[in-house]
Amino acid sequence: MIAGGSKLAATGLAHRFGPMAVLEDIDLTVNKGEVLAVLGPSGCGKSTLLRLLAGLIRPAEGKVTLNDAPPSPGKGSSIVFQNYRLLPWKNLRDNLAFALPDWPEPQRRERVDQVLRLVGLTRFAETWPAKLSGGMKQRAALARALAPRPDFLLMDEPFAALDAQARELMQQELRQLVSGPDGPGVVFVTHSVDEALVLGHRIILLSPRPGRIVARLSTPDWGGDPRDHPDWPELRRRMWQQLRESVLNDPNSDFHHFDGRP
Amino acid sequence: MPKTTRTAGAVTRRSGGRADLLLTAALRLGFLALLLAVWTIAARMAPPGLFASPLAVAKAGWAMMAEGRLLPAIAASLTVYVTGFLLAVGFGSLLGIAMGTFRLLGRTLDIYVMALAATPRVAFIPLIIVALGLGLQAKVLIVFLGAVMPVILNAYAGVRAADPELVEMAQATGASRSRILAHVILPGAVPYLVTGARIGATIALINTIVAELYTAISGLGGLLAIYGSRFRMAEYLAVVVVLALIGAIVTEALRLMEKRLLRWRDA
Ligand SMILES: Nc1ncnc2c1ncn2[C@@H]1O[C@H](COP(=O)(O)OP(=O)(O)OP(=O)(O)O)[C@@H](O)[C@H]1O
Ligand SMILES: [Mg+2]
Repeated sequence: MIAGGSKLAATGLAHRFGPMAVLEDIDLTVNKGEVLAVLGPSGCGKSTLLRLLAGLIRPAEGKVTLNDAPPSPGKGSSIVFQNYRLLPWKNLRDNLAFALPDWPEPQRRERVDQVLRLVGLTRFAETWPAKLSGGMKQRAALARALAPRPDFLLMDEPFAALDAQARELMQQELRQLVSGPDGPGVVFVTHSVDEALVLGHRIILLSPRPGRIVARLSTPDWGGDPRDHPDWPELRRRMWQQLRESVLNDPNSDFHHFDGRP
Repeated sequence: MPKTTRTAGAVTRRSGGRADLLLTAALRLGFLALLLAVWTIAARMAPPGLFASPLAVAKAGWAMMAEGRLLPAIAASLTVYVTGFLLAVGFGSLLGIAMGTFRLLGRTLDIYVMALAATPRVAFIPLIIVALGLGLQAKVLIVFLGAVMPVILNAYAGVRAADPELVEMAQATGASRSRILAHVILPGAVPYLVTGARIGATIALINTIVAELYTAISGLGGLLAIYGSRFRMAEYLAVVVVLALIGAIVTEALRLMEKRLLRWRDA
């Protein structure tokens, strides 16, 4: 599972905006080739966590390391945002090329064509984002994130704006994209228990603000469709219960940790 | 199902667009005819010597052209107008972008720019004449001062209206500040820049005439002064028509440029 040995880690991470504590006491590790799903209620600091992991903001306490060094934006990690964030004045090809600022021209073009093919958008290389459907825009955003061959993908509720069918397809696509031998590690923020279970090798559950890790869970190797797996109903039930408790109870109360193995 | 609807909608819109264009052209021509009719009737009813009919104006315009008075005046006015306007767009955009990019500069200067924009620029004309005389430089400066304010303020607003989410996306790719400015902030500010240019172009044309009336009499403004004071209404109105044409052509050119620059909006 640990291909290449790249590692993204947070230790004792805490963050606040002014007097408001947003994240507390976050410890986590993600290895290359592994998907960590982050599940938590609205406003608990999930997006802030991704910004910290990307190096876009500095933590108030604790530290983030990417391969044992502090993270720097665009160096080893890419973000996929919920609302795509394609530049509306660039066609798809130029949007993807934007993520490769330092690449020499022939290689850049080749790489852009390659990732466009990977997400099935070759035909739309010269198209403006305004002309694409939500699913296509999100595939383009994913391609842009993959283009620089990051060790880690930081995905912020990337499929939340898609309809159920497109979401299902994107989940399958993502599973394939990251499962290869050179696949990146992924931190996948989601509101959806099912999505966390389907995509995550491991799942962490955050409490309401300030977000702390209240549960950690490993999913089994699903094999085929996770919903056909015998452990699916029980895991799903437990995740829901945890989520409900964490929202209903005092966010500072001490939850019991469990490793999720049935 | 949604896909079919979208395609059908696009097709209808496109063919509808062509029909729309024809209709607009026909309506505009019809309105022009109406305007000329009203003008002709008004000219008949006005006391002789105070107004002129379209036909008389056309004849006067033709005569002025033949005598070589109209074209040199147009050339003189366009020189002042275009020079002042282009300087205003160049300098104003740069200053507005700098003010939006360097917050401290923006906060320092913006109240002064707004105060200056609210002052009638005619007030500066005596000063300008004292400093630069009555020639081309003074005229260009008067045009420049009028046009530059909306350009600065719109460029400034455009940079500040940059989408913070797109900026964050760019930062996450490791883009430098200058790269973010060139690929995210400036393209996003184009609608504002074009608006500033359009308002500036209108003020520039007005100020061209003001400059030609207040400094050394010249150009189309000069012709207005001469024919106006002698009650040569046909010639006077011919100059007014030329000014209206210049205004319309410049506005239309800017509109086409805007359409081209913003073609990504609903390509
Ligand atoms: N730059 C900022 N300045 C001040 N407060 C902020 C800032 N960014 C986020 N916050 C606040 O911090 C809290 C956590 O925000 P964050 O976006 O990380 O939550 P989230 O878990 O991603 O929420 P959601 O599920 O709605 O996406 C929120 O209360 C938010 O209002
Ligand atoms: Mg969020």
